[in-house]
Amino acid sequence: MLETVKLSKTFKEKKAVEEIELYLHAGESVGLLGPNGAGKSTTISMISSLMKPTSGDVKLDGKSIIKNPSEIRKVLGVVPQEIALYEELSAYENLKFFGKIYHVAKEVLENRIQEVLEMVGLKDRQKELVKTFSGGMKRRVNIAAALLHKPKILILDEPTVGIDPQSRNHILETVRKLNEMHGTTILYTSHYMKEVEQLCNRVYIMDHGRVVASGTKTELLSILSTEDTIQIQLSKKSDSLLNTIKAIEHVRRVDETTQGIRIISKKGSNILSDLVHAAEKEGIQIIHFQMEVPSLEDVFLHLTGKTLRD
Amino acid sequence: MGSFIKKDLLVFWRDRKEVLLSLLLPIVLIAVLNIALSGLFNSDEDSINIHVGIVEEDNSSIGMEQFEEALNQLNISQVEQEAALKQAQMLDPSKTVRDFFNNPELQDWLHTQNISETEAIKLVEEGELDAFVKIPEGFTYEVLSSIIFDEEADVGLTIHADEQSTELTTLQNMVNNFVDSVNLQFALGTSAGTDSLEQLLPQGGSEIMEGVEMYSFSQYITIAMSALFSLFIAQTVAMKTVTEKRERVFNRIILADSHPLQFLIGKTFATFCLSLLQITLTFTVSQLLFDIFPDKSMQFWLGILIIFTLFALSIAGLSALFTSISLNLRDENAISGIFTAIIMGMAVLGGSFAPIQSLPAVLQKIGEWTPNGLTQTVLLEWIQFTNPSDLIIPIIVLIGFFIVCLAIGMSIFPTRGRN
Repeated sequence: MLETVKLSKTFKEKKAVEEIELYLHAGESVGLLGPNGAGKSTTISMISSLMKPTSGDVKLDGKSIIKNPSEIRKVLGVVPQEIALYEELSAYENLKFFGKIYHVAKEVLENRIQEVLEMVGLKDRQKELVKTFSGGMKRRVNIAAALLHKPKILILDEPTVGIDPQSRNHILETVRKLNEMHGTTILYTSHYMKEVEQLCNRVYIMDHGRVVASGTKTELLSILSTEDTIQIQLSKKSDSLLNTIKAIEHVRRVDETTQGIRIISKKGSNILSDLVHAAEKEGIQIIHFQMEVPSLEDVFLHLTGKTLRD
Repeated sequence: MGSFIKKDLLVFWRDRKEVLLSLLLPIVLIAVLNIALSGLFNSDEDSINIHVGIVEEDNSSIGMEQFEEALNQLNISQVEQEAALKQAQMLDPSKTVRDFFNNPELQDWLHTQNISETEAIKLVEEGELDAFVKIPEGFTYEVLSSIIFDEEADVGLTIHADEQSTELTTLQNMVNNFVDSVNLQFALGTSAGTDSLEQLLPQGGSEIMEGVEMYSFSQYITIAMSALFSLFIAQTVAMKTVTEKRERVFNRIILADSHPLQFLIGKTFATFCLSLLQITLTFTVSQLLFDIFPDKSMQFWLGILIIFTLFALSIAGLSALFTSISLNLRDENAISGIFTAIIMGMAVLGGSFAPIQSLPAVLQKIGEWTPNGLTQTVLLEWIQFTNPSDLIIPIIVLIGFFIVCLAIGMSIFPTRGRN
């Protein structure tokens, strides 16, 4: 549906984005991760036709939109990081203004405004001035304004920065519904890894203006680890069992922890039956078993050398 | 288009600080300046009434005799003595002073009475008199000796008052001008070898043109303040664009794919409405409070409205230019600084702080081509002459200014958020 081809942007001497290649299939929810200054916002600006690329192309259904940005603007909704609203106007007045300039037909605009207000949970507060809203409420109106023309693609640039958990949950739920129930294609950037994990089917990780990794969550996780980490809790302590476990094939390390025993084994080696067998032999029960897998946060750290909030 | 205009007007209206600054401040300033400074402009002279006591302690006959005696003791020829005496008789200082204060041309606003010093002091203290002028004993002899023998005079006219006032300042200026005038005439009469000494009365600082109505300080200050604050509306609207850009609302407007010029035209029209509202409101309130333009005809008010409309249009053009500039520059402080500099420059050149006539000739010419300077000039002319043909060229110039500014604004208006 939407793809970038060797998309680059240079500001004077500095390359902000370098030959980015990403694509979004219709109905997909894609995350774009990267530390500050990685080039995410520049990429979004070029995709949304707000900024002209130095080189490369952005294609919508195979057609370049660089020379004719109207094509993408019709189907695109952008939720910027900033609260792009008129603070002196009410939520309703803002939506009416943006609805009109988005050319939403007069006869459907009123209903559409009420729909999007319902979607973001602000129908009861629509007559109040935006400047009187909390940060979370402003962000919800910010999203509503991008939904008025029923966009097929929705780009959200860190839409949950600095807001309360209730508003965050509301926003995440709204985005999830838009993707799952309305089939809206989502490109989502965030500093919160859990949000991306929760919402996105695929993830692009950017650093220094380049895509350093991409794929599904499983694919990304596979980059990182060649080992599995298993945490077990036993009915009683036993040194001999500890030694037996150490002797199991593919087990690389066994450590006692406050929660029990932590076992590191070769990735994909199935040692569970061996563990159960060894415990039974010693007359000890395994009362808790947990397979610990590396998180996307770990992958991000591995690839960029920074945490997401650096 | 309507959405943009409505939005801009609403955003302005809901910003209470801007409303107060743009709509109420000029009215407050006009009121304060009117109350504090009225009377300084000469055309407000009909509202000035100066009550002066004349205390004459001099006896001009005795003074003349003393002068004649002194003349006789000089070692000069008979012919020279006679000529000097004739000059002295024509000059007669005490009589000249009396004639000056009793001049019929001044009687409408300068009220004099001959009284004793004791009585004069009492009346000044009671506030019945603004001041009294004392012609001291020996004044005739001293003045004649000073002028003809070139001796230093020991006595002179003195003004006595209890407190400083506009009336006192005016009286002081009058007496100073009178003395200068007499001295100058005597000097000229002497050097030209003529004995004619026609008295010239000082006119009080500016020319009075017969048959032409002068504009008053109140009228000047109303026009100047209205024009100045209208200029600021162009800046205010343009600075709202800076906020729209900073908060990415402008990007959202670009993404809505509405024609970019709708945004610019919306700003332009909103500025036109606000500017026209501001100047009309300022004039209306000033008129109601101070009756700044008394007894004016419908034709006069219609002309004023036409000038206002054209001026508001020129301000709208300026706003379009400012808006486009603000979208092309990134540094908000620089944008604000540039606009303030332009506006203050236009205000100074256009006569918003002091009448344009007080500027050097070159700056006057430039000032007359600024929209505020032109409007101010044409309004002041309209007050004096109410001649419709005087409006034609200013109207063309103001429309031209609007078109040029709008055209430049449109040509540099960005169609993307950033390149």
